[in-house]
Amino acid sequence: MGHWHSQFTKAIKKQPYIPLKSLDPRVNRLPAATNSLPKAPLDQFGTFEVFVQAREGKPFQHEGAVHAPNVEMAYVLAKETFTRRFTCVSIYVADTRNVHVSPLTEGMTNAYDNIKEVPSDGNSVSYEIYHLFKRGKQHQHAGTVKASNANEALWLAKGQLKPEKQVFNIWAIRTNDIRFTQPEDLGLWQTLPEKKFRDAAAYKGGDKLKSFLEKQKNNNP
Amino acid sequence: MKPDEVTGEDPQKLAAFEARIDRGEKIEPTDWMPKLYRKQVIRMIEQHAHSEIIGALPEGTWITRAPGFKRKMALMAKVQDEVGHGQLLYSAAETLGKSREQMIDDLINGKSKYSNVFNYPTFTWADCCFISWLVDAGAIVNQLANAKGSYGPYCRALDRICAEESFHLKYGHHCVIYLASGTQKQREMFQEAINRWWPPMMHFFGPSDKISVHTEILMKWKVKMDTNDNMRNQFLDMYVPKIWELGFSIPDPKLKKDPQTGRWQYTEPNWEEFKRVINGDGPCNKERLEVRRIAEERGRWVREALRAPKMEYVTPLA
Repeated sequence: MGHWHSQFTKAIKKQPYIPLKSLDPRVNRLPAATNSLPKAPLDQFGTFEVFVQAREGKPFQHEGAVHAPNVEMAYVLAKETFTRRFTCVSIYVADTRNVHVSPLTEGMTNAYDNIKEVPSDGNSVSYEIYHLFKRGKQHQHAGTVKASNANEALWLAKGQLKPEKQVFNIWAIRTNDIRFTQPEDLGLWQTLPEKKFRDAAAYKGGDKLKSFLEKQKNNNP
Repeated sequence: MKPDEVTGEDPQKLAAFEARIDRGEKIEPTDWMPKLYRKQVIRMIEQHAHSEIIGALPEGTWITRAPGFKRKMALMAKVQDEVGHGQLLYSAAETLGKSREQMIDDLINGKSKYSNVFNYPTFTWADCCFISWLVDAGAIVNQLANAKGSYGPYCRALDRICAEESFHLKYGHHCVIYLASGTQKQREMFQEAINRWWPPMMHFFGPSDKISVHTEILMKWKVKMDTNDNMRNQFLDMYVPKIWELGFSIPDPKLKKDPQTGRWQYTEPNWEEFKRVINGDGPCNKERLEVRRIAEERGRWVREALRAPKMEYVTPLA
């Protein structure tokens, strides 16, 4: 015998399951795709790392990655993906290929223990340095150094930025490779506080539920 | 006894890996890990990502028909969240070396699975409310457990996701309270939605786990955080009283909580139907994948126009 649940739903008007005319307007209104497979291989965009500053004075923190065909679109997608509701002061993105990564350490080994002196090999530019303080957490911005290459930047960070706390991993990104929030971008978050419909707090059903339950009780004492 | 999949692994590295998990530390993408761990974590995160993307479809079709401006805005925000969760999860799975393109290909080709519950249709607004409240509630039970797992990037994605799910749950409950305290017709609509959705909801957490060496090792590695039956029980414990409170019935005469054990008893779900639908023979399987194919096909010219020769796909860092 069919579906066990059918015996309990006899009283209810039976809904046809199969065949089913689509309920999706995208399927109903538009012609079907004709030639979708196999799709072109390597139809992929680049990868960008996203950093968010939650409040003024707080360090930027790594939040995750987005894929985009260029840095401007990466910036917009980062805003959509990571700052839909928690207000932030600023975000920035950098191409993943431009992030210089030290080996991840464990136990009592400080990531700076593995950083050896590197001589300068030309003109210095600024690099942003990030620290990971706990495995499983996310990298935080530590400061800026002037160096001629990324390895030298890590070496200089060892002298200038190494904190008391143990560091498990260090990243360095050339400042010029970062797409920062510009003053004209600040409007992106201006209307966020008005978008109450995104917050759980906007859906208080308690009073309505209470009066409904009381009415039920009075109707069936 | 170790399952066969682990026999080829370096015993010292395996011991260090397991010790790290026992200490409660997270595994990060560059850490050594057994092949079985990598394979299972990719599979799990990928299925979760697909479920977010496909799961947005049955509700998405109701945006234009949601009752009133406020409900439209809320539903639009919720659907946007689901798609955003898919983005976070794909990135987390990518850190283990499977490209996003490969995952999307596997979804479209029917090789990868997604949550079976989304292969059922949303005939009415009440069906949509059932998903927003109760399917999301089930997902939260699952996600809160998995957020305590061992893979760092997945846990971080889940922390973000769970924070947003609290809006979905409150919104869904709000919708249902309005239907429950509305007209007779509205109440009937939601009762019919429960009757339609209860069997897929019971399927949602999957069949009882076979107590195999495989399951045991995945729980030891904190890939799987609890048994399917425990999660189903937790869901029933939290939500059956809330459904009954609103004066609705659940189409299972055996459903009751055993006061001795604290466990819920229920009619065994029809696992044959579950298997059949997972393998493609459900009311909406074809349609769900067709929508993805259409998006892939129609969006291709946009992606081609945007592609820049200097850009290159690389694995995300963390």
